[in-house]
Amino acid sequence: MKLKVLKANGEKMTLKLALSGLKNHLKDYFILFSGLTISAAIFYMFQTLAANPLFLKSNTYLLSIVVIFNLGTFLLAIITFAYLNYANNFLINLRSRIYAMYLMLGAKSRKIAQLIFLETIVIGLLAVLAGIVCGIILTQLISRLLIRQLDLSLIHYSPWNNQAILVTLIFFLVIFVFFALKNARKLVYTPILKLLNQEKTPVRAHKNPLLWGGEIIAGIVLLAIGYWALAHLDILNIKGIFVAIITIVSGSYFVFDSLFLAIVQNLQHRPNFALKRLHSFTLGQLNFRLRDLTKLLAMISIMFALALGAITAGIGFHRDIATITNVCSDYDFILHDPSTRELDQVNNLKLTDTSVYHYKVASNKVYWLVDDFDLKPFNYVIPNGSFNPIKYSHVTGKQMLKDKNKWLSILQSYLGDASTILPGGFLPKKEFQTKTGKEHTINLYVLKNFMAEKNQIKPLVLADNKKIKLDVNRDSTQKYNIFFVINGMLSGFEFMGLFLGIAFLAMLASCLMFKILSGANNDMHRYQILKQIGTRHQLLEYSIAQEIGTIFLLPALLGIVHVLFGLQMFKVTTLIHEPYKNLIIPIGIFLVLYAFYYLITDFIYQKKVLRK
Amino acid sequence: MTSIVAVQQVKKVYGKVHEEKTVALKDVNFQVETGEFIGIMGASGSGKSTLLNILSTIDRPTSGQVLINGYDITKLRGNKLSDFRAHQIGFIFQDFNLLEDLTVEENIALPLSLQEMNPKRIKALVILISKKLSISSILKKYPAEISGGQKQRAAAARALITKPAILLGDEPTGSLDSSSARELLNTMTNLNQKDKISILLVTHDPVSASFCQRILFIKDGVIGKELRRNNLDRISFYHQILNEIESFES
Repeated sequence: MKLKVLKANGEKMTLKLALSGLKNHLKDYFILFSGLTISAAIFYMFQTLAANPLFLKSNTYLLSIVVIFNLGTFLLAIITFAYLNYANNFLINLRSRIYAMYLMLGAKSRKIAQLIFLETIVIGLLAVLAGIVCGIILTQLISRLLIRQLDLSLIHYSPWNNQAILVTLIFFLVIFVFFALKNARKLVYTPILKLLNQEKTPVRAHKNPLLWGGEIIAGIVLLAIGYWALAHLDILNIKGIFVAIITIVSGSYFVFDSLFLAIVQNLQHRPNFALKRLHSFTLGQLNFRLRDLTKLLAMISIMFALALGAITAGIGFHRDIATITNVCSDYDFILHDPSTRELDQVNNLKLTDTSVYHYKVASNKVYWLVDDFDLKPFNYVIPNGSFNPIKYSHVTGKQMLKDKNKWLSILQSYLGDASTILPGGFLPKKEFQTKTGKEHTINLYVLKNFMAEKNQIKPLVLADNKKIKLDVNRDSTQKYNIFFVINGMLSGFEFMGLFLGIAFLAMLASCLMFKILSGANNDMHRYQILKQIGTRHQLLEYSIAQEIGTIFLLPALLGIVHVLFGLQMFKVTTLIHEPYKNLIIPIGIFLVLYAFYYLITDFIYQKKVLRK
Repeated sequence: MTSIVAVQQVKKVYGKVHEEKTVALKDVNFQVETGEFIGIMGASGSGKSTLLNILSTIDRPTSGQVLINGYDITKLRGNKLSDFRAHQIGFIFQDFNLLEDLTVEENIALPLSLQEMNPKRIKALVILISKKLSISSILKKYPAEISGGQKQRAAAARALITKPAILLGDEPTGSLDSSSARELLNTMTNLNQKDKISILLVTHDPVSASFCQRILFIKDGVIGKELRRNNLDRISFYHQILNEIESFES
C-alpha cells in the first residue's frame, strides 16, 4: 500500500517536473512549436497540389507534371526532415540538462526516457494538427488571393484535401516517432555529465590544402555540369533534370564546404580587415558556423533556386498570357452594329485607335465598302500559336482588290456565324450606296492597354459574342476570347509556380531561422563576454546583423546563380517566352520576402543573446 | 599616493518594491591606492560577489558612490559605460571567459580592435604582452587546445592589453591546479611590482590572498577587518590570514 502511494507520488512528481520545465522555457517552446507548425503547414500546402493529380493534369498541358511534382515532394521531404532534425536538437538541448538533473536526483532512466518519448510525440502531434489547420487556412487565403489578383481559372482545386491531410499526418508522425526513439535512446545512453554540459566547444578541423583546392574545383565543375544539363534539356529531357539535381546539389555542397570557408579564412588572415572592430569575432563565428551549416546552406541554396525559379516561372507564365494574347490581334475588341449605349461605354475607355468598316448584306451575300479600307487601312494577324505570327499591316482597299477572294474570306471571319451569309465582294462608294440590302457596321478598337482594361470591355465583348453567335473557345478575332483560352491554359502553371515559390521560400527561410535561433543559447555567453570587455551595444547589434546576414546572403547568392543558369531550361524547351525578361521583378519580390525573414531572425536572435 | 578606486557608503538591496528585501551590502567604504595589490576575502553570502559586480560595472549600487580613476561608475550609461569598461578596467574570471571561436591572438587583440587601433600596432602590442605573460608559443591556438593555466594567462593578456587603470580578478585561480595557480599569482605580483599595475582580487582562497599587500575582510555586507602584509614574507602572511579567517568568521 505504502509502495503504491509512493509510486503514485513519484509519477505525480515526474509529471510536475516535466511541466515545470515547460513553464520556464515558454518562449523557447513557442519558437519550437511555431516552427514545427509552419513546416507541417507548408508540407500540407504542397500536398494539396502534389496529391491531386486530377488538378495537375487538368490545369496544364505538360505530361510530366506529375513526375515533377513527385520530385518536388521528395525534395520537400528531405528539407522537412532536415528542418525537423534541427527542431528536435533544439528540443533536446532544452531538455537534456533538466532531465540529467532528475537522473541525478534518482529518477529512473527508463521513466525519463518514457517522458521524453511522450513529450516528443505529443509536441509533434499537436504541431502537425495545428499545421494542417494552418495549411488549410493558408491555402484558402493564398489561392483566393492569387485567383482574384491574376484572373486564374483553376479546376479541381480545393484547400481541403483528404489525401493531403493523410500524407502529411503519416509523414510527420513517422518522423516524430523516429525522433522520439532517438531522443529516448540518447538520454538513456549518454553519460549524465555530458548531458549536464551540452555547451559545444568548437574544435579546429584541419583541412588538407590540396584536398581543399580540389574540393573547390570539384564544386565548380559539378555546378557547371548541372547548368549545362539544364541548358540542354531539349535534348536530354527528363534525364537532364536528374543529372542537374545530382550535380547541382553536390556542387553546392562542395562550394559551401570549401569555397566560402576559404573566403572567410582568407579574410581572417588579413589584419587590416580582421583587426577592425568586431570583425575577428564575426569571422570566427562564421568560420565555425559555416562548417556546422554546410549541408543546410547547400540545401537552402537549392531550395532558394527552386522557389525563386518557381516564382520567376509563375510570373513568366503570367506575362506570357499577356504576350500571347497581345500578338494574336492588332485590335483589342470588335463591336458589330454597336448601340448608342454601347458607344457611350466605348467612349469611356482609353482608346488609341478606332476603325469603322461598313458592309451590306443582300441576298445572303456580304458587300464591303472598299473606300473605308483606303481611308483606314486594315491590320490582320494570323495567329499560329507562336510569339511571332504572320502579320499584314495597313492593308488598303486597293491592295484588297488585288487579292479579292483572300481578303473577302478573312473579313468574313469577323462576322461570326457564317453559315447564313457568304462573301459577296468589295464595292466602291457609289455602288455601295445604291446596293439594296441592310447596312451594317463593324467597329474595331485599339486600347491603350488591353490587360488593364480587359475587365471593362468584358461585358461589351460578351454581348457582342452573343449578338453574332460566336463560340468563345473557337473565335480568334476577339482578343478577349483569345485571352480567355490562353489564361485557362497557362494560369494553372502560373498558380503552381507562385504557390510553390511562396511555400518553398517560407520553408527554407524558416529552416534557416530555426537553425540560427537554436544556436542562440550557446552564443549568449559570448556576447556577455564581449559586453564585459567594453563592446558598445550598437557594435554588438551590428556584428550580429552582419553574421546572420552573411548566413542568409550566401545561399541566396548561390541560389540566384542557380536560377540565372537554370532559366535556360525554359528557354530551350520554349515553355516560357523570354524567361529572362524583367527578371528583376521576381528576384526583387523574392528578396523582399527573404529579407523580411532575415529581419525577424535578426530581431529574435538579438533579443535572445543581448538580453540585459 | 592617489587612490584609483574609492568606494563610499555603498549599499545594495535586492528585491522588488513589494517583495522581501535582501541587503547584500550595508555600508561599504574603502579605497585602493594606485599601484596597490589588494584582496577582498569573505565567505559565501558575505557580499563579496555583489561588491565585485558593482566594481566591474555589471551591477549598480542602491545608493553610494564608486569612483574608479576619477569616473563615478554609478552614473555611467550606454556607450559611456562600454567605453569605460574598454579603457579603464581589465577583468579576469574564474572560468577564463575567452571566446572559443577565436584564437588566443585574436582574443587578446579584440579590445584594441574595438578601439579601432592600427592593425600593425595591435600586432606589436599583442606580441609584447604575450612575451610578458609567456604565451607567445600558443598565439595561434584556440582556447580548447590549451591548458587552464595558459587560458588564464591569455585572459590576463586580454585584460591588460588596453593598459587599464585597474585589473579586477574574480577568483582567477579557482579553476587552476596548484602549480598553474602559483605561476599566475607570481605573474600578477610581477605585473604589480614592475609595471605598477593596480590589482584588486576577490577570493576566498587564503593562498591567493597571501600574494596581496592588503586584505579587506567582508562579512554580512560590511567590511569588518583589514589586514596589511607590510614586510612579512608570504608564508607568514598566509598564516596570519588563516588565523584572521578563523577569528573573523566565528
